[in-house]
Amino acid sequence: MTNLCGLTTKQVTLGIKNRDFSAEEYICQILDRIEKIDVKINAFITVDKKGALQKAQLIDRKIHNREQNIGPLAGVAVGIKDNINTNGLNTTCASKMLKDYVSPYDATTVKRLRESDAIVVGKLNLDEFAMGSTTEFSNNGPTHNPWNIDYVAGGSSGGSAASVAALECAVSLGSDTGGSIRCPASFCSVVGLKPTYGSVSRYGLISYANSLEQIGPIGKTVSDVAMVMNAIAGKDDNDYTTLEWVPKYTLHPTKKNIRVGLVKQLVEGADQAISKCIYNAMDLFSKLDFECEEISMNSIRYSLPSYYTIAMAEASSNLARYDNIRYGFDLNPDGYEWNTYFSKVRSNFGQEVKRRIIIGSYVLSAGYYGKYYLKAQMLRSLLKRELKSFFKQYDILIAPTMPVLPFKIGEKIDDPLKMYLIDIDTVIANLSGIPAMSIPAGFHNDLPIGLQIMANELQEQTILDAAMLFEKASNIQRSPDL
Amino acid sequence: MILAANIGLEIHCQLTALQSKLFCSCYSDYRDKTPNNNVCPICSGLPGSLPLLNQKAVELAGMVSLALGCKVPDKIMFYRKNYFYPDLPKNFQLTQYNSYGITSIGVDGKLDYDGSKKAVIRRVQLEEDPGRLIYENNNNNANSYTLIDYNRAGVALIEIVTEPNFTDPKHVRMFLNKISSVVQHLGVCDTKLEGSVRCDANVSIGSKRKVEIKNVNSFKEVEKALSYEITRQNTMSLHDIEIKAETRHWDDLRKITKQARTKEEEQDYRYFPEPDIPTIILGNEFLSSLKAIMPELPDERKIRFVTDYELSEHMAQVLIENKEMSDFFELAVSIYSSPKEIANSIITDLMAFIDDSEQKASILSGLKIEPKHVADLVKLVDQNTINRNTAKMILKQIIKTGEMPSQLVIKTNASKIDDTGAIAEAVESIFIREKSAVIDAKNNPNVANFLLGKVMQLTRGRADPKIALNLITRKLTESN
Amino acid sequence: MVSKQEIRQLGKLSKLELTDQEIERYQSQIEEIIAYFDILDSISLNELEPIHLIKNFSELRKDCQELFEGNALKNVKYRKDDYIKGPRLA
Repeated sequence: MTNLCGLTTKQVTLGIKNRDFSAEEYICQILDRIEKIDVKINAFITVDKKGALQKAQLIDRKIHNREQNIGPLAGVAVGIKDNINTNGLNTTCASKMLKDYVSPYDATTVKRLRESDAIVVGKLNLDEFAMGSTTEFSNNGPTHNPWNIDYVAGGSSGGSAASVAALECAVSLGSDTGGSIRCPASFCSVVGLKPTYGSVSRYGLISYANSLEQIGPIGKTVSDVAMVMNAIAGKDDNDYTTLEWVPKYTLHPTKKNIRVGLVKQLVEGADQAISKCIYNAMDLFSKLDFECEEISMNSIRYSLPSYYTIAMAEASSNLARYDNIRYGFDLNPDGYEWNTYFSKVRSNFGQEVKRRIIIGSYVLSAGYYGKYYLKAQMLRSLLKRELKSFFKQYDILIAPTMPVLPFKIGEKIDDPLKMYLIDIDTVIANLSGIPAMSIPAGFHNDLPIGLQIMANELQEQTILDAAMLFEKASNIQRSPDL
Repeated sequence: MILAANIGLEIHCQLTALQSKLFCSCYSDYRDKTPNNNVCPICSGLPGSLPLLNQKAVELAGMVSLALGCKVPDKIMFYRKNYFYPDLPKNFQLTQYNSYGITSIGVDGKLDYDGSKKAVIRRVQLEEDPGRLIYENNNNNANSYTLIDYNRAGVALIEIVTEPNFTDPKHVRMFLNKISSVVQHLGVCDTKLEGSVRCDANVSIGSKRKVEIKNVNSFKEVEKALSYEITRQNTMSLHDIEIKAETRHWDDLRKITKQARTKEEEQDYRYFPEPDIPTIILGNEFLSSLKAIMPELPDERKIRFVTDYELSEHMAQVLIENKEMSDFFELAVSIYSSPKEIANSIITDLMAFIDDSEQKASILSGLKIEPKHVADLVKLVDQNTINRNTAKMILKQIIKTGEMPSQLVIKTNASKIDDTGAIAEAVESIFIREKSAVIDAKNNPNVANFLLGKVMQLTRGRADPKIALNLITRKLTESN
Repeated sequence: MVSKQEIRQLGKLSKLELTDQEIERYQSQIEEIIAYFDILDSISLNELEPIHLIKNFSELRKDCQELFEGNALKNVKYRKDDYIKGPRLA
């Protein structure tokens, strides 16, 4: 029996439809692999063996009965970041605060995946409440980078990227508030997309920073990402921040002669090995007949403080609901005075989460609102304006995804500000709402480097086109030998 | 020296006319439902839920703003008011806030009340109700826990904030009655439903610190609470005791206010715009379409009553105070067009039986009387079939049995007796029965009235009093 | 300058019970981070409006009742009858 775990989305759906193998055969291999190697990787918090098998059998029945309504993602093994609600399964946000929580409903993206006949295999590890860049802040232990298990997998969607790289699922869903899809995608040498703000429903995504985040797909190839987007994206009446549109991504590049702008400050601010890799990528683009130029962005130096101000402010409010009365962990409130009970249960948040709540409360408090929060929001307008003018001249902007290579577990964990600074390349996409993708661009000392491709709002197709061409030409390895 | 009081009000009105809650499709009528069954991920604050603003709520709130003479902005926003409490599912409340720019549904309005008094409205805003905390045995000190019911969480509220221009608790009471009448006439809030209207107040005397009074459960109690508080503050001031800026709760059993928390411990609410709700553009047609569907307001109705029905201002005022009553009146008039008499009958006779205590669903609860009864009754009086006294008595009957007046008149033979002979017979009987009175009458003219009373009693009010008195006086003179 | 007292106060506001060690550790970190945010002061942004998402009144949810299919609070363990138990009030 051939190893089915390494198949792409397209290959799985075709294989099942053509009856080269059954959904059950495929999913059993996946589940076996998870059982075997996840002890090393720690990508999964929950594995739903029973549910996955049931769904696989259902699909096989549909195929056997030659039913017409086979979904476009039939049989594809999907992992879901554990801050996205899945009906009947635990959704913990890798936090003690939601340790025992069982979702009573599906997030819209999960619902749409199920309707496309994808198979949800389990819930994936993350930094607690999606706050972090390495998945080291998880209550379930860090996720290890499949390329070198002593190294971080990136975050906060570390489990989502590592599981794909380790062939534990074909695709996964992550969430990206300040780089949380792209960072781990870059560190794990897989493809990750943060879609345009409002293009994918956030209904069911446990909020960290509502005005910045989106759910997005991670896969081994660009086509994986495109196929998942076609299934999950589009307007949702359950989310007032979604845009009026329907996804129709094609997998054959539709545009040549793409105009590329390389963001100078971001390349120069990265480690040398990374800058070199990005310049090589630019050369590759030139060989593909893309026009490439260097550009300079003025608002970049304000982007990190602006991002963190807004993210922490929104987080401090979003996390207020965790008082353990309606959901959480087992602690009887009987006998406690309410202030005491609330403070006691909330002491179960991790360090990083507590820090962000405090700072978030600070920047929102009377007297500071104008100085920090309002200013940060205005800066977003400035950034958007600057980007809009660039997108008149360029179709895509490129930069490194991360300014540093993956580092050892434990290396940066004691210096929060240092940790925040590695988000410098990714936050501009969240602040402005534009789509951004990370694709594998190379290695240095066997550690992955990601190239970031950004485009104007709702221009994901342009990113896909450029990325697909790049992917074909660069032929970077997508999965380590494990 | 007694210092003048400054009172400002914050009135909360549930939009009971809505089917669903403000941000989700759960039932807006949470009363008498199994606890914690009328909930969904949104109103119970489950992780991952998102608020979905109710279109009709914005519409009804817009009508209230217009009725209160407010400016309605082109766009509205929602803000988070962040604080913790066991009845708040998200530990923030979605509301509106104007300190960083006008975002609420109405600002700068006014409302006349009690004829010519003017109240200034600072703003009208939409916000959500929290859940309910239940105290067993009505005493939260006895228990080691609180019981929570989230069925009410998320129900749509209108908050009306006035300028602190009130000086007299009586005026406040009158104003609140006017507000009640307005929202009833608009059909947005059934003020009879328990908990559908609440009022908090800010009270200060002279230029001293403001005290917030909360937990007042009815409009009637507001007047009492305010009177108490003003007295309390003045007493303290007279003794040179500092008045603390604080929140006090009204204890309606002991009829006092007591400290809840001091303003120094007061929360910093850290308001910021709700990221999950975009700015709502109301659009050019919003106001014009509201004006087109807006029901008649009490003041307009009062003018119409005076102009079209020729009622006195006072009568019109009494009728419009309660929409049920003014509706009743108009229905009766549509059956039999005698507006002045019908108004009279309602105000003088019917209102005595009305229960406007705030618990009943209808002020006519338990009464079997309908507009058609009053119309019929007035018609009988107009036709001289019965006199006003009889009408009053018949009304009492109708209230119990719901029978039509004309039927009752026939049944009880209650029609007016103006046949002189019949009355003379009655007078004869009384003269025989009341021998001592008849003797007194010779010296005391007032006793004639006593005898008249007895004749009316005997004829069960049907005798024409003028004729009867005439006969009595004549008979008394004759026997002299 | 963010004082220990301010951090303690913010902790109270956010219902976070912070130990003395935590406050000690957080103080320098938080100061550093807030100082980093101060770079926002150097921009003069008076002419800019914050980005606003917009939605038309006509696109809002219609006022219809629909009961949630599942049971949103079914997993809550501590109850009395159907009420949910919470800690007592002050």
